[in-house]
Amino acid sequence: MKSKKWKVVLALLLIGSLTVQAQITDKPNFGKIAIVDATIHTVTEGTIQNGVIRLDGEKIEYVGTDRSNISDEYYIIQASGKHVYPGFMDSGTSLGLVEVSAVAVTVDNREIGNMNSNMLAFTAFNPNSVSIPVTRVSGVTHVITAPQGGLVSGQAALMDLWGYSPDSMAIDVTAGMVLNWPSIRSRGRGARNLEQAEKRYKETIKNLNKWLDNARFYQQMMSEYEADASGKVKPEKNQQLQSMRELVEGKTPLIIAVSSEKDILNAIEWASHEDNISLNIVFAGVEEGWRVAEQIAKAGIPCLVSTLYTPIRPYDHIHRPYENPSVLMKAGVKVAIMTGEVENVRNLPFNAGYAAAYGMGTVEAIKAVTINPAEIFGVSNLLGSLEEGKQANLFISSGDPFEPLSQIEHVFIKGYQIPMDSRHTQLFEEFLDRDATQE
Amino acid sequence: MKNIVNTLLLLVVFSVESFAQEKGSVFIQNATLITITDGIIQNGDVLIIDGVITGIGTDLNVPLGVKVVNASGKYVMPGIIDAHSHLNTVSTNEARNPVTAEVTMEESINPNSVSIYRAIAGGVTSIHLMHGSANVIGGQGETLKLRYGVSQDEMRFVDAKRTIKFALGENPTRVHGQGNGIQPRTRMGVEQIIRSHFDEALDYRARREAYLETKKVYEGNRRGRRVPPVPVAKNLRYDVLNDIIDGEILVHCHSYRADEILMLMRVFNDYGIKNYTFQHANEAFKVAPEIAKNGAYTSVFADWWAYKFEVYYSTAYNATILNENGVTNSINSDSNELIRHLNHEAAKTVRYGKTSEADALKMITINPAMQLGIDKMVGSLEIGKHGDIAIWNGHPLSIYSKVQQTYIDGKKYFDLFTDPADMRIAVDSDDFYREWGFNTFIQGREEDACMSDVFELIQQ
Amino acid sequence: MKINKTFIGIVSFITMLIAWIQMPLLAQEVPAHAITNVMVHMADGSVIENTDIVWRNGIIEQVGVNEFIPFDAFVIDGGDSLHVYPGLIDGMATWGSPDIPRDLPRLENPGKPPYDRAGAQPDRIPAHYLNEDKAFEDAMRAGFTLVSLGLDGQMLPGHIQPFNLSAPKLTQAHAFSDPLALQGSFDTAPGGWGSGAYPSTQMGVMAYFRQLMYDASALQEHMMYFEMHSDMTQPEQNDVLEALFPLVNKEYPLFFEVDSKEEIERLFRLQDEFGFEVVLVSAKEASALSEELKTRNIAVLASLDFTEMPDWLEEEIKETEANDQEINVSNDDDANNKDVEKTAPTEEELVFRSKQKQAWEEEINNVASLVKAGIPTGFTSDGMSPKEIQKKINLVTEHTSLTKSDLIELMTVQNANILGISNRVGTIKEGNSAHLILTDGPLFEKGTKIHIQVSQGVINDFMEN
Repeated sequence: MKSKKWKVVLALLLIGSLTVQAQITDKPNFGKIAIVDATIHTVTEGTIQNGVIRLDGEKIEYVGTDRSNISDEYYIIQASGKHVYPGFMDSGTSLGLVEVSAVAVTVDNREIGNMNSNMLAFTAFNPNSVSIPVTRVSGVTHVITAPQGGLVSGQAALMDLWGYSPDSMAIDVTAGMVLNWPSIRSRGRGARNLEQAEKRYKETIKNLNKWLDNARFYQQMMSEYEADASGKVKPEKNQQLQSMRELVEGKTPLIIAVSSEKDILNAIEWASHEDNISLNIVFAGVEEGWRVAEQIAKAGIPCLVSTLYTPIRPYDHIHRPYENPSVLMKAGVKVAIMTGEVENVRNLPFNAGYAAAYGMGTVEAIKAVTINPAEIFGVSNLLGSLEEGKQANLFISSGDPFEPLSQIEHVFIKGYQIPMDSRHTQLFEEFLDRDATQE
Repeated sequence: MKNIVNTLLLLVVFSVESFAQEKGSVFIQNATLITITDGIIQNGDVLIIDGVITGIGTDLNVPLGVKVVNASGKYVMPGIIDAHSHLNTVSTNEARNPVTAEVTMEESINPNSVSIYRAIAGGVTSIHLMHGSANVIGGQGETLKLRYGVSQDEMRFVDAKRTIKFALGENPTRVHGQGNGIQPRTRMGVEQIIRSHFDEALDYRARREAYLETKKVYEGNRRGRRVPPVPVAKNLRYDVLNDIIDGEILVHCHSYRADEILMLMRVFNDYGIKNYTFQHANEAFKVAPEIAKNGAYTSVFADWWAYKFEVYYSTAYNATILNENGVTNSINSDSNELIRHLNHEAAKTVRYGKTSEADALKMITINPAMQLGIDKMVGSLEIGKHGDIAIWNGHPLSIYSKVQQTYIDGKKYFDLFTDPADMRIAVDSDDFYREWGFNTFIQGREEDACMSDVFELIQQ
Repeated sequence: MKINKTFIGIVSFITMLIAWIQMPLLAQEVPAHAITNVMVHMADGSVIENTDIVWRNGIIEQVGVNEFIPFDAFVIDGGDSLHVYPGLIDGMATWGSPDIPRDLPRLENPGKPPYDRAGAQPDRIPAHYLNEDKAFEDAMRAGFTLVSLGLDGQMLPGHIQPFNLSAPKLTQAHAFSDPLALQGSFDTAPGGWGSGAYPSTQMGVMAYFRQLMYDASALQEHMMYFEMHSDMTQPEQNDVLEALFPLVNKEYPLFFEVDSKEEIERLFRLQDEFGFEVVLVSAKEASALSEELKTRNIAVLASLDFTEMPDWLEEEIKETEANDQEINVSNDDDANNKDVEKTAPTEEELVFRSKQKQAWEEEINNVASLVKAGIPTGFTSDGMSPKEIQKKINLVTEHTSLTKSDLIELMTVQNANILGISNRVGTIKEGNSAHLILTDGPLFEKGTKIHIQVSQGVINDFMEN
């Protein structure tokens, strides 16, 4: 009985793929595509009922309600009752850098060293990681993939999730320099322990400042030399300092991983110092941001935060992690939601869903995984909303994408309608009715 | 005379067992009742008297003297049951021997952990507090009711079946083989550890029984002319293993790969062991028909995978495949974070494979109850069952829904609107307030929570 | 031969006499001693003035007003102003114990370690393991005349044995009596991950303990059978298990070092299973279980090693006091700067503080609550240096209902009762061993000095220097 029932279901699945999904079983669909009758959540320009989106190759050609320009060339996706959203972007992951966390030889996100500004996540990004298809079919189309460890871990990359080489998938190879804020960690109770911790902290900050001073000097020297090399001896190239030229100019964001109240305040103080004012600083983690939201807002520092972790202090209210993004947002901080995940980046919508449910509201939470991160990382001309001329990164959902009960039905990345399969779906299809035979 | 003494002894034991638990009465009105076993009742009422559900239906009479909670627009669901938790252990792994059946989580309960409160706030009312997965045969588990604020003894779920943790694969081979250079280093070794210990236990039982028998004869023979037996000491470890063989203890086996799941079923069939649950079981979907045939259960993560090698070839569709193949499956947390939203973890079975909403909810209520041998008492809204319920402000599978109140035995243990933020019971007089410092960005995970204490130990 | 013996006797008497003349008041061995004209503090807290105490061979011969002082007694005159208290007893300490060995070799099979590596060494007797320890002299100077010593270890470190604190360097000869209990705790096997062993958790310790008891009772039975039937298999020799026979037979108490309420409850489980007598050592949360302790007739050797008062509370009290005295500190620059840095506590922090204060008060009231509940309560230094005792006594008398004389009672007669040696020590009366301290004021009061400490009749004078 059971196996028969599933044969029917499988047959239906097959029929489905032969008709609607005929062109995406193996290869993506690409070219002129029109999605019609959908509820379109543009993010930047409101919601359009019974809307139309026309794609032409990589770009969005049109967003609106006018169906008159859909010629025969267009492949039409009928999406009545469905919802279209810009592809989601996760602002903090190690996707593609780590295949199996517990198997050290597959972990490429943590280089040895304390000042690794020249390390590029882009280099270690494995475009064939099994986790990538698993992620993108959930509607997460872009990730910041970041290195870890040391004081300065290296440079995070902004990647899209369709392609066969890091080169074709990189939106920004040097999307942000990752700095792990030197936390004042008291090794015990009492004033003396705290004093020692503060001493260690000051030492680290001194090194950090020196490192940045060197970089500023190098940048100035190289700029002068590059502007006019005549009569000048070519300066020796320093890989590490070379990698920081855009950082000190404020072109590459400095992503500061900082979490606790006191550390956040210290980081703000440091960021506000005149030497550092030219830096483009972004906070990541920021679990205790709600305690000092006003100060963060005043400093104008955007925050990358998640929601699915346990309350930090034993006396924190149970909902603090869920409410943190909304408290920050309401104080005026630009907030992007991230997962901090490796293989389960697909849970980004649920992280955002908790933010939405606990004070942020769905509309703002959608922004926190689309236009906000695009703005924070300086790519809002390309990503983050459904607007004409932007890259065609979007997905079609059966309902609110934050709801686990909704299905993500189609995903487009830079115009490619990607196959909706992954190891997870393939194993499902193989094993749902394992012992069935061909009819 | 002897019988009377025995009866008296039993009475004493009984009165110790049935310690004074606080039970409550409450009448919850006009809610959408998700009964789990009998569909959904709109505008329904639930009456709990002295900790037991005595009425379910529409337009029930409001009994005198019972507190009434108007829950119109709300959902009432039985309390969530987590079949795999280390929520409030004192220690999780007795990791220094591959077999430690003699230890029990009953003696490793921390009743003061604020994690308990955080779980209740997610609608969870019972957990299976488990030993970790360092050992092939780990310690015995303890099913708890999350009565926050009572003593460790009063947290115990009285009349729950006894359970024990087994573990296959990477964790025991890594801790003992790789870590200490003793068997098991491989999955071959894991099987033989189990078989040899069962055999030793059976041998011990025969020797011990023979000794006791001879002793009786010897002591009955007042003249003492017969030669007395060499005493065989009571052996706690083997006693527990024999109880497993006798079916008095339910095995919950940490396992991932399909082949090791099959191995354990072969071994258990050889020793006549039934009614066991595969925990985590990321590859159970590959052998779902065999699991169903053996009547075994599974208790899985909603979507955890790829953090270590033995979960690399797995799928978030695991639960759906198992369910569709007739395996009674539950969704567990094994995490103090996931336990806060197991409703949402269950909802993922709908996203991954379109399990029905009704079945998804079973996976966090009646199914885990079956796996723990408490399904006659909890896991659904039924007359006669315990008053362990949660009131939600929306459908429990929606990400926007929140638990508003949680009741255990009819007594309220969580109230979203009236509880203060700081719900700690045990406050360290040596605690400090401000000196916090840490940072996180990318976290990921390398291990299931089963092993966290072992890794802390290794890192020391 | 006979002449020789007499001769030697005379010579040694003369030698002693010379020693006595040259070094008065130092560890003497003379026929009798007396302290006269002192205020004697009795067990019930009453004081008898103008009293004389006479002892000989370590035993008190007379206590009373205007007693007849024997002609051969060396007399210390209290001059009406000195006080005599019974010598203080430390209910349990591990002074002089060998340290727990570090850098233990890695075990081949950590799951089946030798007994000592599992932490089970109940066969050890303190008298055989006495090392030099500065704490002995510190304790003497603090007024202690007797200490029941245990050993540093884990689950079953060994026996508990009382010693006279009659010399700063203790040897077997200073033993007050044979061992009187076994020592226990929930401490796990030594060695950490690298060289540790089973049991490595508290639940493991409990299981291992049970198995030891089962093995011991089987061995005991076997030995009993073998005594009657030498033709049967001979039982193995096993000092560890044999040391547990008194516990198996409920003839011997287990002095168990434990603090938290939950751990005490776990100890109750073991007690229920095996029925032995238990004395709690340290027991910082014992008062939470007063009723149960009473039912079980369990005594407590309580620790006074309390957590320091939280900084903020100390400051708060100081501020209140300063305000009360209306001391104007506003001109003080330092104080001003501090005030600027200090931010008012948030509402959350106030909640935190009130909970912390409650926890701290519960902790410090533990001993008072036990006494109030009628639990036999004594005192153990339990890891605390004797030098710290005065500070902790001030803390506990300042913040709880306990008085200094209550504490003296815990440290004398109560401890003697709990250790089962009250027929010999704990009170000053005829027939008891001479354990006394001579002070120039009420004990534990500010400025009071201990002049002389007498342990088992041996005098130690601390006013010498």
